Amino acid sequence: MSVIYLLITISIVVAIVFLGAFIQAVKSGQYDDDYTPSVRMLFDDEIVKKENPNKLIQTEKQKSI
Amino acid sequence: MEKQQFYYDNKIVRNFLYASIVFGVVGMLVGLILAFLFLFPNLTSGISFLSFGRLRPLHTNAVIFAFVGNAMFAGIYYSMQRLLKARMFSDLLSKIHFWGWQLIIVAAAITLPLGYSTSKEYAELEWPIDIAIALIWVVFGINMIGTIIKRRERHIYVAIWFYIATFVTVAVLHIFNSLELPVSLSGMKSYSIYAGVQDALVQWWYGHNAVAFFLTTPFLGMMYYFVPKVANRPVYSYRLSIIHFWSLIFIYIWAGPHHLLYTALPDWAQNLGVVFSVMLIAPSWGGMINGLLTLRGVWDKVRTDAVLKFFVVAITGYGMATFEGPMLSLKNVNAIAHFTDWIIAHVHVGALAWNGFLSFGMIYWLIPRMTKTKLFSEKLANFHFWIGTLGIILYALPMYVAGFTQASMWKQFKPDGGALQYGNFLETVTELMPMYWMRAVGGTLYLVGVIVLVYNVIRTVRQGSPVENELAEAPALAVISPSRLKGEKLHSWLERKPVQFMILTTVAILIGGLIQILPTILVKSNIPTISSVKPYTPLELEGRDLYIREGCVGCHSQMVRPFRSEVERYGDYSKAGEFVYDHPFLWGSKRTGPDLAREGVKGKPFNGGRDDVWHFNHMYDPQGLNEKSIMPRYQWLIKNELDKSTTQDKMRTMVTLGVPYSDADINNALKHMDEQATKIETNLLANPEIKKSFGGQTASPLKDREIVALIAYLQRLGTDTQVKK
Amino acid sequence: MDAENCFHCGNEIIKKDEIVYDEKKFCCNGCKTVYEIFSQNDLTCYYDFQAAPGATPQDIQGKYDFLDNEEIVTKLLEFQERTTHIVSLYIPHIHCSSCIWILENLQKLQPGINASQVNFGEKKVRVTFNPEQTSLKDIVYLLSSIGYEPYISLENFDEGKKKIDRTLIYKIGVAFFCFGNIMLLSFPEYFEVEEYWIDQYRGFFRWLIFGLSLPTFIYSASGYYVSAWKSMKSGLLNIDIPIALGIVVMFVRSTVDIVFDYGQGFFDSMAGLIFFMLLGKLFQKKTYDFLSFERDYKSYFPIAITKVLPNGDEESVQVYDIQKGDRLLIRNQELIPVDGILISEKASIDYSFVTGEAVPIEKKSGDKVFAGGKQMGKVIEMEVLFSVSQSYLTQLWSNDVFQKRVEQQHKNITDRISRYFTPALLALAVVSFTYWIFIDVQTAFNVFTAILIVACPCALALTAPFTLGNVLRILGKRKLYLKNALVVEQLAKVDTIVFDKTGTITTNKKTAITYEGTELNASELRLLKNVLRGSNHPLSRRLYDFIPNQEKIETTSFEEIIGKGIFAEIEGNTIKLGSSQFLKTMTENTHKKTKVHVEINGVYKGSYVFNNQYRKGLEELFSDLAKHYNLVVLSGDNDGERRILEKMLPSKTTLVFNQKPEQKLQYIEQLQKEGKNVMMVGDGLNDAGALAQSNLGLSISENVNVFSPACDGILDATQFDKIAFFMRYSKNAMKTIYMSFGLSLLYNVVGLSYAVTGALDPIVAAIIMPLSTITIVSFVTILTNLYAGKK
Repeated sequence: MSVIYLLITISIVVAIVFLGAFIQAVKSGQYDDDYTPSVRMLFDDEIVKKENPNKLIQTEKQKSI
Repeated sequence: MEKQQFYYDNKIVRNFLYASIVFGVVGMLVGLILAFLFLFPNLTSGISFLSFGRLRPLHTNAVIFAFVGNAMFAGIYYSMQRLLKARMFSDLLSKIHFWGWQLIIVAAAITLPLGYSTSKEYAELEWPIDIAIALIWVVFGINMIGTIIKRRERHIYVAIWFYIATFVTVAVLHIFNSLELPVSLSGMKSYSIYAGVQDALVQWWYGHNAVAFFLTTPFLGMMYYFVPKVANRPVYSYRLSIIHFWSLIFIYIWAGPHHLLYTALPDWAQNLGVVFSVMLIAPSWGGMINGLLTLRGVWDKVRTDAVLKFFVVAITGYGMATFEGPMLSLKNVNAIAHFTDWIIAHVHVGALAWNGFLSFGMIYWLIPRMTKTKLFSEKLANFHFWIGTLGIILYALPMYVAGFTQASMWKQFKPDGGALQYGNFLETVTELMPMYWMRAVGGTLYLVGVIVLVYNVIRTVRQGSPVENELAEAPALAVISPSRLKGEKLHSWLERKPVQFMILTTVAILIGGLIQILPTILVKSNIPTISSVKPYTPLELEGRDLYIREGCVGCHSQMVRPFRSEVERYGDYSKAGEFVYDHPFLWGSKRTGPDLAREGVKGKPFNGGRDDVWHFNHMYDPQGLNEKSIMPRYQWLIKNELDKSTTQDKMRTMVTLGVPYSDADINNALKHMDEQATKIETNLLANPEIKKSFGGQTASPLKDREIVALIAYLQRLGTDTQVKK
Repeated sequence: MDAENCFHCGNEIIKKDEIVYDEKKFCCNGCKTVYEIFSQNDLTCYYDFQAAPGATPQDIQGKYDFLDNEEIVTKLLEFQERTTHIVSLYIPHIHCSSCIWILENLQKLQPGINASQVNFGEKKVRVTFNPEQTSLKDIVYLLSSIGYEPYISLENFDEGKKKIDRTLIYKIGVAFFCFGNIMLLSFPEYFEVEEYWIDQYRGFFRWLIFGLSLPTFIYSASGYYVSAWKSMKSGLLNIDIPIALGIVVMFVRSTVDIVFDYGQGFFDSMAGLIFFMLLGKLFQKKTYDFLSFERDYKSYFPIAITKVLPNGDEESVQVYDIQKGDRLLIRNQELIPVDGILISEKASIDYSFVTGEAVPIEKKSGDKVFAGGKQMGKVIEMEVLFSVSQSYLTQLWSNDVFQKRVEQQHKNITDRISRYFTPALLALAVVSFTYWIFIDVQTAFNVFTAILIVACPCALALTAPFTLGNVLRILGKRKLYLKNALVVEQLAKVDTIVFDKTGTITTNKKTAITYEGTELNASELRLLKNVLRGSNHPLSRRLYDFIPNQEKIETTSFEEIIGKGIFAEIEGNTIKLGSSQFLKTMTENTHKKTKVHVEINGVYKGSYVFNNQYRKGLEELFSDLAKHYNLVVLSGDNDGERRILEKMLPSKTTLVFNQKPEQKLQYIEQLQKEGKNVMMVGDGLNDAGALAQSNLGLSISENVNVFSPACDGILDATQFDKIAFFMRYSKNAMKTIYMSFGLSLLYNVVGLSYAVTGALDPIVAAIIMPLSTITIVSFVTILTNLYAGKK
């Protein structure tokens, strides 16, 4: 059953990797604001049609919602 | 740091989507053939590459790696670019990744039917393909992490965290479970470096986590992207998704052993697996609740919009499967369910509902958006939904019932408590025929649904104008990292390459460590060797490779559990020491046919203790012996000559893996095979019919045929520890 | 009028000034212009996320001139480089996804802006812009023009970039990592399965567990060692001492166990304990990002004010730089930052926020003007008497009550309990150790460590955080935001409640206006309406809103006499409006109620009576509170309302009027000297002193985002009538804590009895502990939820 050495060490290493990633994420401020990202991902930033912004007529933005 | 215009790469997403649909149909078709093979065993009799044993791995690999894999990549490539507001890191890497992955699938589709299989479930592909998978996976990783580095959105959305976790863990899992030593660099054959119990533990540590990190985490990431997008409402609680991610990742990596309960795996490892799996229910259900409650406020849209209907059933399926999983890993429940059809039901509820429906929902939502047109017919999509749901129900319920009947019939004793009520295993199989029929019907409905999807997609694409690259605009990410705001100079270098650098180094260390530490630990495996257990003779070794080639492990298990009913039916329960020389282990996970662990032991009336002639006739024409049997015919084993050219190479490989063959054994291997084969041949020729039909050919005498080697292996099974009667 | 809703801001549209543009209905020109800006820049899906999300933009000319002053801008900017400036602005109006959407698409409206990121929780937007193309002032103007006016006050003028403290989250991450792994690695030994393999790996498992326990023992639990050390040094024994002691003993004992192979050690219980304790801390540290409880006058004053230079041109100058003798220009709705003398001939100043009087005060040129009042009507000029810090209002803040406030650490309940618990525990441990030392050294150590482990008061220490954390969360849902968990304890101990009148028990939103006298017919009302439009006297403005809409007609002549009334001719008839002396008709003047008398064509019609509106449910609340608490109403206003209050409120409520801010403060000080535990409920700046002095300061605010003075809790005005429920609920919460203390002491007593007799082996002790923790936590959470359910 010596494979248990291998399995446990891999699991611990992967767990340490994720712990490091967790601390790095918290440090870089990923989780300071925990509401706005869920709304921000809803906004599309694709430019739908080539039209110049200063045309006055209102352009119907093709939304599939 | 001004505003930049760039293009999202839709072409790669479209490619992956089409590949996923095509291979989805292929994989499910193979699955349907398997379902009908249960009913008509000799549907494809005579054609070796269409036999049940060889098609089962093709079905599992095709559906998991081709259908779900491609759908996953499509979802990742589409959502990641939009979440990070950046094109993929490099188009070349995307192309390599796409074409490489399809190449791997085609290679699998060729090698598996030809019998090149390692017999380790969901990792059946032979070593060259394994290496290719590892390379393509690393290409995918570099492409993904590169995109994260040059992102234009500072916050990394939770879906991306799931993708990163998928990449890191699947890389680790695949590498460690595919450690196999090729017999020769030219041949495809290889032997797993672990043996017996250890191979079982590593395989199912991989097996469970392949399900976890290939089928669940990426799909959870896609759920966190597509469900809010389609419902146009923010996710229920973003904080819950953070907690859900970190706890799920942490617990999953540990939950391997619950596939090996009551086997020869040491008790404490089994208990670890049980505790673990029960703990898994919390994060999984956290994810499900987060997904379902995102639809609060839009439930009326679910009534009309097919895509939302698909997502709702997908998430509920995920909830059901992840509730059933922990229940199945409780020891007493597992004692009933293990090896039965209940497991098949659990797998398919998860796969058909969660992976299948989420992918279909995604396809129905993505294709119209990427071809700038409406879906060809919303009615057909709803039709596909209803027929698919019906298909899942008609698949799962019969299998639950089959599982219970099987388990209870196996365990039942006669009222006087003496012998088994259903001594002959076949009685329990014929009992399940009606359920297998219903399962086939369910499978057909599901496939019909998929065909309707294909038609719908083709018409949609034809009426729309595909947009290869979608123009988008976003400001470049402020080069000022938070630390520079505080004026720290020291961190600026680390800030630029934080997480990615660490992940890549760990992967490198893992591979590096692997080369040195493994041979030393594993060769000196200290399983309590039972003195009477000896390595296989050359002929038996070849017979074992035939057993692997024909995929017998798909229907026959080799593990007698310490239950009175099994000891009564098969013989003494299996000890860990008996499998010391089994590279790879063949415990199996499903008993469509009886357990063969004690096949060689004489004396048991209904099972085992069959003479060579019985095996010969059974392989030649199983229905001849008992017309209700669903065992397919293996006549090519009788026609083909045994290929003895690589036997000595195989033995030398086994020696490097720690099996004590002496040089003398290897040198006169062929002579020894001949002696053992002639002994079996004489037994066979003693029977008049066999003598009549096969006695005459002197060109390739019966003793050189493959069937003799297989019989030699079968007669050896389980005999080492049993005193010869 | 059919209540049509404005497409942009959702307010009711007054029929006659409804504007239709692009076949959508708007309530005013402001909303229409905002819609126009959006549609030109292709931002119309602003209206897709949320119906009518917008706000009508106020006119702000001149309000933000101080942003031209470089020095102020540098203070406000978060980050400054040649080409990129980053500023973080607090915008109260952020409330929905549309707000997030529009504020993140600012770059479409103004080229200079590169990127803008919204933090919804803190209602802040972080704008990165290129100073060459646009300036902070343009950005603020843009934001105000689309209805998202930022709130800039003196406070963010000098508050530096506070570093967010995330150490607790790191500690919890490490603790969870270690606790999870250790627990899983120790399972095999738990099952004591006698098997060949387990003996193979016992050593490997144990040392791996030991290795994993180090990070949590050293890093995660460091907080407890530090606070234990500090409390030992300062002599007061808080709860952290037994905790730190328990952890250290467990660690030492377990290391000894695995080194000499006595047993498996209990690293998992130790790691579990640390993890649950840190979780309790995080759970208790519930912060409301968008609220700040330490606001003082700075967050109410503007940053800069326009100063008139001797040569006549205007220049915006920092509030701190104003000296005696400067001439200042105060615009409409602007705040008077310093005391001074009025120069322009008349001005009406709203002091309701500062002194609490409901009605704006009229000032003639030469009168003294106090800081903190809000100027209503057209621009006025004044001369400075004192600089900002010496002005009358800010002296209130120099009062010692604010300095004292900081270090006056209330002793929380756990510390009080631990004062007895810790010495008792240590004594018991030493006694039983000495007792056993003579009989058998081995059991002596066993007993000693078992006592410290079992008695380690994790259940005790976890009770308060989890209870109060849960209570905070529930109260927060009911719109009562408390500063920290300690406030709940103080809430339960209160026995006297002091209410401020204006703005607290009265709503200053729509004061009820009743009409006494002969009814006015429609045509007379129409005349009255048009006359009132001319004057911007606050009373006439409120009367104008009260009278239903009429169509506009021109007034031929119009004359307003300050402090008296209005005389106007319209369509041939003469209208006279004003105070009773002005109309020289002495009606009986029962109590000094503000009245406006009406006389048309010389015939006296009647008078409009302004009495301020009391909050809904005031009587029931006071009668409910009167049962347990003695009640006081302190008001800065005149005692015009005395008779009504006496009628409405229970008899023994003391009513005190004409209270200056200091007098309110002294009144509470007096109550406290009589040994009373006082809670002050107030709203305006004038109550700041009283709120600080009282044991617990609760401030009522109409709109939680706007300013409320420094206090311990902010209650949303709509929940005013629930105060009785909150008081009862806090008492129940304290009852829960006492009950669970009893339960955890029970655990300890049972455990100790075993430990002392040496019958308890540490493994069992280690199992009891997490068990007790979980039962306590669940017991407490369920009970608080049950109490919350009961009304």
